[in-house]
Amino acid sequence: MQHRHLLPDEIDQLLDSESGFDVAHLKAHLDACPACAQLLADARVVCDTIEQLQHFAPSPRFSASVMADVQVIEPWHIALTTGAQRLMPASRPMRAVMLASGSLLALGLSAGAVWLSTRPDMTLYAAGLAASRVLRALLDATGTLINDTFGQTALDALHSGSVSRVGLGGVVVLTAIGVATVGLRAAATSARRARE
Amino acid sequence: MTTFLDLTNAPDADVVTLAQQGREDAFRELIRRYERPVFSLIFRMVRDSATAEDLSQDTFIKILNNIDKYRPEFKFSSWLFKIAHNIAIDFLRRRQLDTISIDGSPHAATAAEAEASTFDIDSGGENALDAMAAKELGSAIERAIGALRPEYRSCIMLRHVEGRSYEEIAATLDLPLGTVKTYIHRARSQLREALEHLRE
Repeated sequence: MQHRHLLPDEIDQLLDSESGFDVAHLKAHLDACPACAQLLADARVVCDTIEQLQHFAPSPRFSASVMADVQVIEPWHIALTTGAQRLMPASRPMRAVMLASGSLLALGLSAGAVWLSTRPDMTLYAAGLAASRVLRALLDATGTLINDTFGQTALDALHSGSVSRVGLGGVVVLTAIGVATVGLRAAATSARRARE
Repeated sequence: MTTFLDLTNAPDADVVTLAQQGREDAFRELIRRYERPVFSLIFRMVRDSATAEDLSQDTFIKILNNIDKYRPEFKFSSWLFKIAHNIAIDFLRRRQLDTISIDGSPHAATAAEAEASTFDIDSGGENALDAMAAKELGSAIERAIGALRPEYRSCIMLRHVEGRSYEEIAATLDLPLGTVKTYIHRARSQLREALEHLRE
């Protein structure tokens, strides 16, 4: 029968005590070979010493220094849930009152929406009335600005125009402002790159 | 008002989930759990306390600012050690410091700084003679680890100090399993040879 000493990989297997490896025959060899047993013992001393090495500690301000550069961001859905939970009263009776009130409000709004949907002419009239009231209030608030920017003629046209026409005009103005902003930013970026 | 949870015994996965929800106490718990292992690993790689602290901070800042990218099918600690290892290796490559001296930091400007940055191995609970022997062995081990290649050093540290399996080390360091076994085998061989004189 050939006798050979354990290979380095086999010593490692015994050191790691890996499950699934067939180490029974290796252990049997150790019983019969003092040289390999000594080799394994020496290797185990090294591994045991490494395993006893201490962890070093950073400075006491380590955590604070890290947190100073960490952005703690609460996702929007978590913020919504947290905000809703904050609005809930702590006591159970008050929660019941809040739930009942909320249910009645939801029921009332739903009933109102259903009633309005069966009367489209009244819905359109009410919406148009509300829109023209809002438009008048807006023009009253911004009349001076519009007069100074676009002139009295434009202000008179807005006062006499329909809601849809005024709305279209507002969209055109806002679009022009948006396009001008994007164009100016692009021009500034290209100029900066050209300088670099 | 946010209520503070006791996260001391919570699994890593739960703490990370809370951190992803924006809980600041979860961030602090992760730092508390891993500041020492990460700092120790990097300290033994770069061998300078101030540098190790900076690199450790960079590790945690990178991890925590990208906590939303963490994938729960992997262990958080493996991801953390991977980043720590990569940051340390990048630093060593930039500084071309492949070996470290046990006898004080290479950046020490005075004798006091060198003394402050030497490894001082403490043993616990033994008699004086055993304590001296343990201290000598521990210092010799630290010296020998410092002489290893960085790849061997990180593998042997993760295996024997952090108790990681071969598979975890391979995943952490992005190495084939066979390469990890080879590195650990070579590291053990070199450490055994380096400690040969203590057995004579």
